[in-house]
Amino acid sequence: MSDAYGFYTDTTVCIGCKACQVACHQWNELPAELEQQPSEHGPGQTRPMTGNSYDNTGSFSDVNWRHVKFIEKSDIPAVGTTPASVSHSPQDPNRDNLQWLMMSDVCKHCVNAPCLEVCPTGAIIRTEFDSVYIQEPVCNGCRNCVGACPFGVIHMGGSGNAGQGTAKKCTLCYDRMQHGLTPACAQACPTESIQFGKIIDLKVRAEQRVKDLHDLGFPQAQLYGADTKILGGLNSFYLLMDQPEVYGLPSNPKLPSRAVIPSTLFSMGSALLVALGALFAFRKKRMDEFATDPAAKER
Amino acid sequence: MGITASPNWQGWLIAYFFFGGIAAGAYFIAGLLELIGSERDREIARGAYYLAFPLLVLCSLFLIADLHRPERFWHMLIQSDTFWPMFKYWSPMSVGSWILSAFGAASFVSFADALAEDGRFGLGRLGSWARMMRLSPAGKLFAVLEMLAAYGLAAYTGVLLSATNVPFWSNTNLLGALFMASAASTGIAALILIMGRRVAHDSLAKLETADTLAMALELVVMIGFVASLGSLASRFVTNKYGLIMLIGTGGAGLVLPLILRLLPKSWGQNAAVVSALLVLVGGLLLRYGILNAGQSLTIRVD
Repeated sequence: MSDAYGFYTDTTVCIGCKACQVACHQWNELPAELEQQPSEHGPGQTRPMTGNSYDNTGSFSDVNWRHVKFIEKSDIPAVGTTPASVSHSPQDPNRDNLQWLMMSDVCKHCVNAPCLEVCPTGAIIRTEFDSVYIQEPVCNGCRNCVGACPFGVIHMGGSGNAGQGTAKKCTLCYDRMQHGLTPACAQACPTESIQFGKIIDLKVRAEQRVKDLHDLGFPQAQLYGADTKILGGLNSFYLLMDQPEVYGLPSNPKLPSRAVIPSTLFSMGSALLVALGALFAFRKKRMDEFATDPAAKER
Repeated sequence: MGITASPNWQGWLIAYFFFGGIAAGAYFIAGLLELIGSERDREIARGAYYLAFPLLVLCSLFLIADLHRPERFWHMLIQSDTFWPMFKYWSPMSVGSWILSAFGAASFVSFADALAEDGRFGLGRLGSWARMMRLSPAGKLFAVLEMLAAYGLAAYTGVLLSATNVPFWSNTNLLGALFMASAASTGIAALILIMGRRVAHDSLAKLETADTLAMALELVVMIGFVASLGSLASRFVTNKYGLIMLIGTGGAGLVLPLILRLLPKSWGQNAAVVSALLVLVGGLLLRYGILNAGQSLTIRVD
């Protein structure tokens, strides 16, 4: 769509500074989760390390709508060669042969959004910018969207959170966009890894960048979600330097509604067999009664 | 795989799936008996009516309690901004909300009918009118609607689980079929338990035959379900909750009671009661196992 807005994230220039996470927390007034984090140093201290590279966010949550991932890769391929089999083993203890893949993950604002599809209250809507937005006053906390999202984006708002008990995720800064502002994360990104704009413009830019990277000797550079293969296209798409799975992204996420017709047909078959079985049980015994009961015969 | 977050559907929903299945299974059989059963078998249908509506009320309460914003439960049926009906035929939960309402309405009518027939709560004077209605073409049509509502309630929950991105659930199209078969086996088992001493011996034998067939179907669908998981089948059979379902439901809840049914009749009433109880426990473990197996492979934040 020509009026679709979104993000193009060029992971090759991400430096893992987490300015996007900070900007997101500030603009959306998301609490820092400190009180929820047990700390050996007492309450109010910084949260403990996850032990997973520089990632101390861990995953998306009700207050973490952005999550900078740090993927540590050993066996760095020499420039100009394709990594035949990249090992994704845990960190190289000496860190002397290590490469980071960094990626600022966020809601993909899918063109065919699984969360929006299943939402039974109509709380999840598509905005005039083609982004996917959860209307907090409508959501009743059924959590169908949580299990529908193939990216683990949506989480339920806990206590101490505005809109407690409702589904939470990136809004693409809907409030900022309605006033012509760039989303906070893209505004804060110091390397322009997160770029915001019209999807058609971003795609042109991304395709050129992939071409340049291929020419520079990085044949593994690829776009994720820029075409319609993944859920009809992602309005937050990525330039990756390895397979999607390496970044913890599903290569073939499923649209929930795809299961409805086949599952319903199978369940109908099951119901039919149950009915036939019961029919057999009750009819058969009636015939037996008829055969053995002389009084019934006379009737 | 494994980056879907957990919807955290736990106790309330396991209880709902279980009791909703019993209500649906019993009501399905009742509708069928209205259409093809003899007058003597109607006793069974009446037992199902006394079971279905109260269980449905209980289930609705479970569902509301499960919501994180229970006071907004009505948003499932009515759009909160326009007050128009809320319906998405492609979303199983939305369809299910309407199925639940339809089942509630139908089972309420049947419940009142059973009360009228038994002359309770002063409804006795409606008894003859209710009987007339029941035997009329409208009554037969209503019996078909009973079966449709019961089928919907039994099956939609399985379809709902498959319409997600949760591992196991979304890798099969057989959960609706499995839940339908389990609804029938547990619904009939519940009828055997509550009706056992009240109905004629031959009626009970018919119920047992119907239950045995439903259990055999459930066993076959369960094997089909594991096979349909494809490359995830080995992960399911080594998953703690997968094993609970296979051993608890498949073994103790289906194979064992099937063997008990084959035992000599001298075991009599006790074998019938024990096997019905085993089927019910198996039905509960089926819901527990399926719900937790899928969610055990998801990300949990809280």
